[in-house]
Amino acid sequence: MTASIAEKMDWLGNASYVVVALLVIMALYTIITQKNLLKICVALAVLGSSVNLFLVLLGYRDGGSIPIYHMKGAGDLMVLPTPQCLTLTAIVIALATTALMLSLIILIHKHYGTLDIDEIRRLRG
Amino acid sequence: MWSQLDTGFGHWNVFVWLFFFVIISAFALWVRSLGRMDYKRSTEQDEIFWSGNEVPEDGADFSVPASSSYWGFRVAMEPLYNLLNRFHNGNASDYAGYFIVTVASIGVLVLI
Amino acid sequence: MNLSDHLPAFLVMIPLLGAFLTPFAGSFNRGTRNAFFVTFSGLTLLTAIALCLSTLNGDVLVYVMGGESFALTLPSGMTYPVRILFEIDAFGSLPILCIAIASFAGALFSLDYMDRFSGWKRFLALYFLMTAGALGMCATGDMFNFFVFVEISSIASFGLVAFWRDKPEAVEASFKYMLISQIAAMLLLLAIGTLYGRYDAVNMAALSAMAGSGTLERVAMGLIIAVLAFKCGSFPMHTWMPDTYAEAPSGVTCLLVTVSQASFYGLVRVCYSIFPGLAAGGVVAWMLIALGVMSMFFGVLMAVVQHEIKRLMGYHSISQVGYMLLAMGVGLLALGSPEAVETYGRAAIRGGIFHSVNYSFYKALLFLCAGSLYYATGTRDLDKMGGLARSMPWTAGMFVVAAAAISGLPPFNGFVSKWMIYESSFAVHPILPAVAMITSVLTLASFVKVFQAAFLGPAKAKFVAVREVPYGMLAGMAVLTVMTLLLSLFPGWFTSGFFESAVNALVNHQSYVRAVMGGM
Repeated sequence: MTASIAEKMDWLGNASYVVVALLVIMALYTIITQKNLLKICVALAVLGSSVNLFLVLLGYRDGGSIPIYHMKGAGDLMVLPTPQCLTLTAIVIALATTALMLSLIILIHKHYGTLDIDEIRRLRG
Repeated sequence: MWSQLDTGFGHWNVFVWLFFFVIISAFALWVRSLGRMDYKRSTEQDEIFWSGNEVPEDGADFSVPASSSYWGFRVAMEPLYNLLNRFHNGNASDYAGYFIVTVASIGVLVLI
Repeated sequence: MNLSDHLPAFLVMIPLLGAFLTPFAGSFNRGTRNAFFVTFSGLTLLTAIALCLSTLNGDVLVYVMGGESFALTLPSGMTYPVRILFEIDAFGSLPILCIAIASFAGALFSLDYMDRFSGWKRFLALYFLMTAGALGMCATGDMFNFFVFVEISSIASFGLVAFWRDKPEAVEASFKYMLISQIAAMLLLLAIGTLYGRYDAVNMAALSAMAGSGTLERVAMGLIIAVLAFKCGSFPMHTWMPDTYAEAPSGVTCLLVTVSQASFYGLVRVCYSIFPGLAAGGVVAWMLIALGVMSMFFGVLMAVVQHEIKRLMGYHSISQVGYMLLAMGVGLLALGSPEAVETYGRAAIRGGIFHSVNYSFYKALLFLCAGSLYYATGTRDLDKMGGLARSMPWTAGMFVVAAAAISGLPPFNGFVSKWMIYESSFAVHPILPAVAMITSVLTLASFVKVFQAAFLGPAKAKFVAVREVPYGMLAGMAVLTVMTLLLSLFPGWFTSGFFESAVNALVNHQSYVRAVMGGM
């Protein structure tokens, strides 16, 4: 079994995970408490970015270089390439969903004339 | 057998069930055939009885709407339905809140 | 090159090709459009049938993307797989078959149902994307790939739910679903990242081989279970389900039902194959049972009082998913000890799988019947319908089959699978089958109401011009009716042929691991 990446990090390295946790909690809090659809959309984007930050952090190795064999220069320590691929995919997905959500918000504003989430509730019961 | 199913506790065979269904239907039809056949066709004995009133032309005037079904059940369970309707209030931030609370409680429960 | 070796790749490739060909296909006329739609969903269905037949004897199909050879799971010197791979066993091929059949039936139905509307290209592209996403969710053997397929099917379904974008309710339903679904997707990604950080692997079989029982694994498993329980619509997180199922076009709702089955597949896979050590016999099993019982009971309570036909059926979906969660929870509880597996565990898992297959067919059929009523009368409100059995005899007949099946009336298939769930959950606690039976009674009550309100009663003057729906729609419904009747008439054949090998695949999770990791 490979040793986990988190164990290799010093205590300062773990501080960045605390930032991720704070960002996730902030985003979730904003989604629940804010009433404006655009602010909720921004909070979702923050949530996506914080998860991407988490993925990037997982691939970090102290002193590592880029994971391309003929460009890494001296030294044979490279950062992990997999999380970077995961992050790129996740960024594209987040872009698509943000764009779709904004277009839905435009349509909602056209139909309901408001962006207040408390007033967009024809479907209930 | 293709239709025989052994569930580990008992057996189920759809064709045995269908066989008994046919027997019972035959019996029911026999009971029905014992009824009176001597009523006069196409007289007022054939008409729909609607509390002695004239039957309206349009069926919409004397059909029972779906919302009236199980009225008693709904009234008897009214406190529960008030609660459930408050739960399904259509507010998306409440729905997101239910989701996050459930995720959090599942996350705490799995740590036990 | 043997074509049958590449079936797992074709399964996702064909609908994706259909989706990406659509924008380049030039202007369709009606004939080519219909031929295109039916050909690609028919090809997907054929691939799914071939795939399902090749997994029946217990084989696990593995297909590696981008490797030197499609069967090489471990490149030289590697101890765990690094490439994206598809892994399909006897359990995974069942939802694949259900999705392909529902997609085909929905396609046939939509030919005439959507004929009045513009925007066909977008509809076709999104429909195929959603099919591809749902099929990929059941085929993939890689956690991150699973996330990508979840997102493909979700994003396509947001678009399709809001397809009638001039209806405010459709846009509202799509937005509400999207909001919670995106939070869920990000939490799923967080959990997958946690697992990656712990084990340096995102492959399901590799994770299953290595998984310990630390805090990180528990939190990740909890997050994944919660997210997938949301996606298949269990109780406190079910609110998107009646909204989207009611507002989406009916051909799409038919597919949405099976997409929720793909999420259910993911949930079972995570509990049974990836973390059996953590999940079996303990608090996770009781959690699934509790979610199942709550979904069953509250879903049907809300359904009884609805008077809008598709919304009523949407609430029924929640209660039907509850049955499956209950059965799978009971099976997971039994998985802790070998004798419990033999006495009631296998029966519970078999009942859950049987019910989920039944549910995909009769529920999709019910939504198509509701769509036919909407097509013919222009309303979804049951208060306004009435006396339609005279003018729409075929729709009425197929509705009766589906309604009897979902209410668990013998001799239909719903009765058999519910009976298996009652018997096996009785071994855990008598209160569980009691709640399940009350739910079944209320289900019957509400479908009696729907049948009485829509099809029986005096003929209404405003519906004198109503005729039976076009043949394409009837054909789509007939596909699902035939499947329901086959499952009703030959439950023994389906159980010994299909469900038994699926149960074996779930109970022995080592076979899933060994197919990728080699002899461990």
